[in-house]
Parts: sequence; structure tokens; C-alpha cells
Amino acid sequence: MTPFRAIAESRTKAAGRRESCPAFFLLCALSIIWASAARAKTVTIDDSGTQSLEPSVSLRWKSATPPRSGADNLLVGTTSIRVRINVTPWLRRTGRIYLNLPAQPPGPITVSWVAQGRFLSGQTQSGNRVLVYAGPIAAPFMEDVLTFRFSVDGTLVRHGFPVSFHFEMDED
Amino acid sequence: MMHATAIRHHRIGLRRAFAGAVLFGAVSGPSSAYTVDLTPAAPLTVYLQVGVGSFTNDYINGGQPGNNTTINTVSATVAASVLGNGTAQPMTTNSTAAQSYYDGFTFCSVPGQIYIGGFYRTTGGKTAAATVTATVPAALTDATGDTIPFSKIAWTSSGNGDSGAEPFPSGAFVSGGVQSVGAMSSNSWNESCLTFSYLNNTVPPAGTFTGVVRYTLSAP
Repeated sequence: MTPFRAIAESRTKAAGRRESCPAFFLLCALSIIWASAARAKTVTIDDSGTQSLEPSVSLRWKSATPPRSGADNLLVGTTSIRVRINVTPWLRRTGRIYLNLPAQPPGPITVSWVAQGRFLSGQTQSGNRVLVYAGPIAAPFMEDVLTFRFSVDGTLVRHGFPVSFHFEMDED
Repeated sequence: MMHATAIRHHRIGLRRAFAGAVLFGAVSGPSSAYTVDLTPAAPLTVYLQVGVGSFTNDYINGGQPGNNTTINTVSATVAASVLGNGTAQPMTTNSTAAQSYYDGFTFCSVPGQIYIGGFYRTTGGKTAAATVTATVPAALTDATGDTIPFSKIAWTSSGNGDSGAEPFPSGAFVSGGVQSVGAMSSNSWNESCLTFSYLNNTVPPAGTFTGVVRYTLSAP
């Protein structure tokens, strides 16, 4: 073996060892993730302290004028809600809190919100949930004022309708 | 206008959940959901423009409709040499509305055409079309009381770049009455350009004959 080939083989073997390490760690990582997912538990949070800051939520056309195609029929409405959730059961633990907007009549609903800092601002569609907080639970209650904007297809709406959402905790 | 109040619907359910925890010790924790009632506050909007109208900007640029009280005219001057010969005489307008407020497109040609268009907004599924009617006097009159029946005025309907049926089709006035001149499907923009003509198949006395037709949009 020439010195050059010896060096080359040595590099190849070294590379082979390096390749085996990531595979090992990948397996370990997958196992950890799987184990974590198996332990995850989602619990609806008591939000009985939540209050609306405005007496009504009126829906108006996003555009007062319709297009030629009739495709822009969004009704939009905004309201501010003081969210107060009871996180006592998770005190001094860490967790992930989601805003869950279940699928509900009259059809697809889009909700966006702007938070004041305690929670994350975000947007979601009915049938989904979005993370609004992740981290330690340091106090029995968490509060924030969220300004919500609801959007719904006006062709689905004939009368007023309720929209329900809740907060839920994914326990670490 | 209707109002709605954000209310909590599930307080009773919450109390029941606490009660269950006391009785059985098996409920993992209280549950709740917040409910907001949403109500359409301005679901019905109508807009009709005959001749000039008012928009803050083109629709595609966020324009909003406004009121315009202008009454436009269409007119024809018939030369004595062709009077009553049966050849329709084109009428021209003082309307300057050539562009559609939808996108600024030059939809009509002035002074030969009158723009007519609009929409009606309504919630819910597809509903019956809104109708546009014309309230037509029996006749045009001059200063001495001579008359020309309004039925001597007709129009054709078109629009630059248009194909297919017009929402405001061609027609002729029916003297003395209310007649339908078009329909608007809900939640869509409807527009046409009307080219008026005087039928010129009778010989009235010399004079200036005038009359006013009122267009009305009625939503279901």
C-alpha cells in the first residue's frame, strides 16, 4: 500500500465511523420524540374568568362592493376579550397552551387575534388550534386582552350565530 | 341593525363538571369554552348607477359607493329632411360615465351610451335577483302640449369587451307605466351600456319634447 492509499483508506474508515454516529443519534432522538409524544396529554383549561370588553360583535362586509365573480363575500367583525385562564393544575410546571377553534356551523371561520404580550398573536381556521403560550406556568392564572377578528363567508350566514373556542394545555 | 352580545353558554356545564369531581373524584379538571355571538350588522347593500355615479375609487382599489343626484339626459335632434322616414335616430347623452367603477375599464362609449350598473349585497345563499325597473311617463311633451309617446324610444345593450347576455338587455320604453329593464344577481357586479335611439316613424309637430324616466333598484 502506498502511503497515499493508506491515508485514503484511513480517511474512508474515519468517515465510516462518522456516518455511524449520526445514525445512532438519530435513532435515539426518534425514540425520545416518540416517548414524549406518548406521554403528551391535552386538557381543556378553565376559562370561566374570561370576559368580553365590548357588548356586541357585529359582522360587516369586508368590501361593501361585490366583485364581478361574486367571490369576495367575506363578513368581518372584531371584538376584544379579556382572557383569563386558570392554570393552577400546572403551577410550577411547563406546558404548551393552544387556542382551539373547533369546526362548527355555519362553516369555515377564520379567526386572527392580536395579544398584548402574555400570549402569542396568531390566526387559525375552524377545525384547528394554534400555540399561544409555551413555557413555565408561574402563576395560578394567566391573563391577556386579545383583539379578535372573525371572518366568515357571507353566503353561509343568514342570521346571527355563536362561535365557540377554548384553550387547552398540552402537558409536558 | 341587529346586535349581539358575547355571552358564556357553558357556565352550567362547568358547574356540573366540578360537581362530578366531588362526587366521583374521576374528573381530571374543569372544562370550558368561550362563546361569542356574531351577527350580520349591515347585510343588505344596494347600489344603482344610471349615467354618472360616485365611488371613492375603483372597486379593485378599495373604492366605496356614494350618492350622486345628477340627472343625465339623452337627446336627438331630427333634421326636417329625415323626419318620420322610419330611420332610427341615434341619441346622445351628456353623461361622462365611460369607465366602470369596478376597475376603471372604459366600458361604455360616450356620448353615444349611458352606463347602467350596480349591485346588491346580501347574506345567505343565492337569492332571487334584484330587479331594476323604469317608471315611464306616457309621453314626452313640449311647451305647447304636443306629445311623442315614450314608446318611440328604444335602446340596445352592450359593453366594451362584453360577450353573452347583458344584465340590462335591449328594449324599448312602454308608454306610461313601470317596466322591468334588468336584473342583478346577488353579490356580483352587474353593468351594461345602453345606446338609445328615437324610432322616428311618425311626424310630430316641431318642438322640443322632454320627459323623465326614473330607474329603481328593488332587492328581494
